[in-house]
Amino acid sequence: MATSFKQIEENLKTEAGKLLDAGKVSMVLAYGRGYDEKHPLPYVARSLADVDGMVFNEYCTANLARYLVRYPRGTKIGIAAKAADSRAVIQLIQEDKVKRDDLVILGIPVYGMKNAKTDEAIDAKTTCGLYNPVIYDVLLGEEVHGQPVLSPYEVLEKVEAMGQDERFAFWKKELDRCIRCYACRKACPMCYCDPCFIDQNKPKWGEKSPETGGNLMYHLTRFHHLAGRCIDCGECSRACPVDIPLYLFHKKVAKECEEMFGQAAGMSIDEKPALINFRVEDSDKILE
Amino acid sequence: MLKKTTVQKLSDLAAGLMEKGALIAPVREEAGHNFREISDPAAVDLDFYNTLLSPKSVFFPHTEDFIRYKTGASIAEAVCVEPDIRPTVLFGVRPCDVKSFEIMDIHFTGTGKVDPYWAKRREAATIFGYAFDPNTPADPADFYSTLGIGAADPEGSDVFMIRKDQDLLLQAVSPKGEKLLSELPSLSDASADDQKYFDGTVAAGRTFKTRFTCVEAEPIAKKFEDLFHNAAFWEKVSEACLSCGACTFVCPTCYCFDICDETLFSQGTRRRVWDSCMFTDFTLEASGHNPRTKVYQRLRQKISHKYSYHIRKYGPISCVGCGRCTRNCPVNIDIFSIVNEAMKA
Repeated sequence: MATSFKQIEENLKTEAGKLLDAGKVSMVLAYGRGYDEKHPLPYVARSLADVDGMVFNEYCTANLARYLVRYPRGTKIGIAAKAADSRAVIQLIQEDKVKRDDLVILGIPVYGMKNAKTDEAIDAKTTCGLYNPVIYDVLLGEEVHGQPVLSPYEVLEKVEAMGQDERFAFWKKELDRCIRCYACRKACPMCYCDPCFIDQNKPKWGEKSPETGGNLMYHLTRFHHLAGRCIDCGECSRACPVDIPLYLFHKKVAKECEEMFGQAAGMSIDEKPALINFRVEDSDKILE
Repeated sequence: MLKKTTVQKLSDLAAGLMEKGALIAPVREEAGHNFREISDPAAVDLDFYNTLLSPKSVFFPHTEDFIRYKTGASIAEAVCVEPDIRPTVLFGVRPCDVKSFEIMDIHFTGTGKVDPYWAKRREAATIFGYAFDPNTPADPADFYSTLGIGAADPEGSDVFMIRKDQDLLLQAVSPKGEKLLSELPSLSDASADDQKYFDGTVAAGRTFKTRFTCVEAEPIAKKFEDLFHNAAFWEKVSEACLSCGACTFVCPTCYCFDICDETLFSQGTRRRVWDSCMFTDFTLEASGHNPRTKVYQRLRQKISHKYSYHIRKYGPISCVGCGRCTRNCPVNIDIFSIVNEAMKA
């Protein structure tokens, strides 16, 4: 039996309160009330009084790891992390953007998250499909077991069956709809470059206007920049106002990486990111 | 003049309008409805709440080419791009979005300098407004009644449309609309009952309530001026903000743009492209200095511009309460809640 959302919310408040009260962290990243129940807001509690404002329900989809790099290094932070979110935390630790010792991870085992826009269940189709956090200091409910374990790569079947021309036509059509609001990169916990390559104008890597050339340049570069780093939380696709299925590309790159290097992103703090680690036994497929 | 047709015969009406010029109307797309130029009259779809993107791009396209040139060639060889301006029917615009055109007119034509691209497109367009149904609740993100806009305000449209079950009632509002309506053979005359229904709906639209709070231009402008240096307030309301540009790009009254030179091989184009005050590089100066490096400074700019600076400079609040920024925010930031918080602060 999975712990209820209400119970997780209670546990979250209790544990966050304890951490703040004991001075173990200076802030807890969690979820708070939005303009209605379906639209909770990422929320920061800095005192015991703030803890009351926390909520947790099936629409708390945002990946809070995204905010970790915003605070000065060394800030002691408590963070509520669902399965994929915890992988983002690990990946950020691997990339030395945050220190493990500065974090208290409040792991949320959860089943039944929903996309507020479509009301569809969020599962392995658009995310990594895990239910339990990979790393945590405190677990805010019972581990979820007995739910269907689906491969996060099953959804790729359709795209993988496409020929090269068809695949290009598919992605061109999808990416042509991009309005270049950059919600995808801003929602992404791994997109922390400052400045992002696409914002540079000396040299200029891609055009600013939302047309095929610049759109392809932006998205394809971003996809590849996330190779071996994307932890498949699906936030980019949920953030996209025009619903471009960005997760398909990220999943495909993640699958290739996993096949070549035998590791998925953000699964262990003892690993190094696949593409910055050299091992003699590594696959040479990348050079083919 | 009140005319009518049925929803089933919408494509006949669309076909008739296409004979008058380009028809831009809502069509169903992957992520929701959007205004697109119609090539198949059957594609026009009035079964939508509101479009995902605002109709501002009809007059103010995301990308607009000004000059074409060859790199290294003499400036005398550069060519001005003539804008493609045709008689246009903009069909199915919700009252709050119609109101946004009036606000945008201030910037593009109302300050003494006329933007010919906006002005010519506006002049060439006939606007068919389309009432929200005051008998069904508004989307939880909407707050247009806060801005004094009704669910069925015909003002600003040339023709105003109200749905009555399977009928579509069309009322001429301006002489331009009157002329166009009289030239459409697929329409029949409406009855006295229809007129009563039409007038009743317009009246019901005025008392219809979306999310509502009492906001008056002068006090709110003052409030945000007073809050400018209150960093704690802005840091709190912007804590979740990702500083992407989704809100500004879907907004019907955001009008910031950048002038870019885009070149491919030796072919160059000087064009205007939408820009967003939420982007880090929006205020990046050539010296390298950036006066708005923090997220809270950028969110403060966006909201204060709409609810304070705009009032001081031009009079009206630069927001129509369409709810698009709230609906499309990846982290559910809500401008209405922030305005409410500001009033309490």
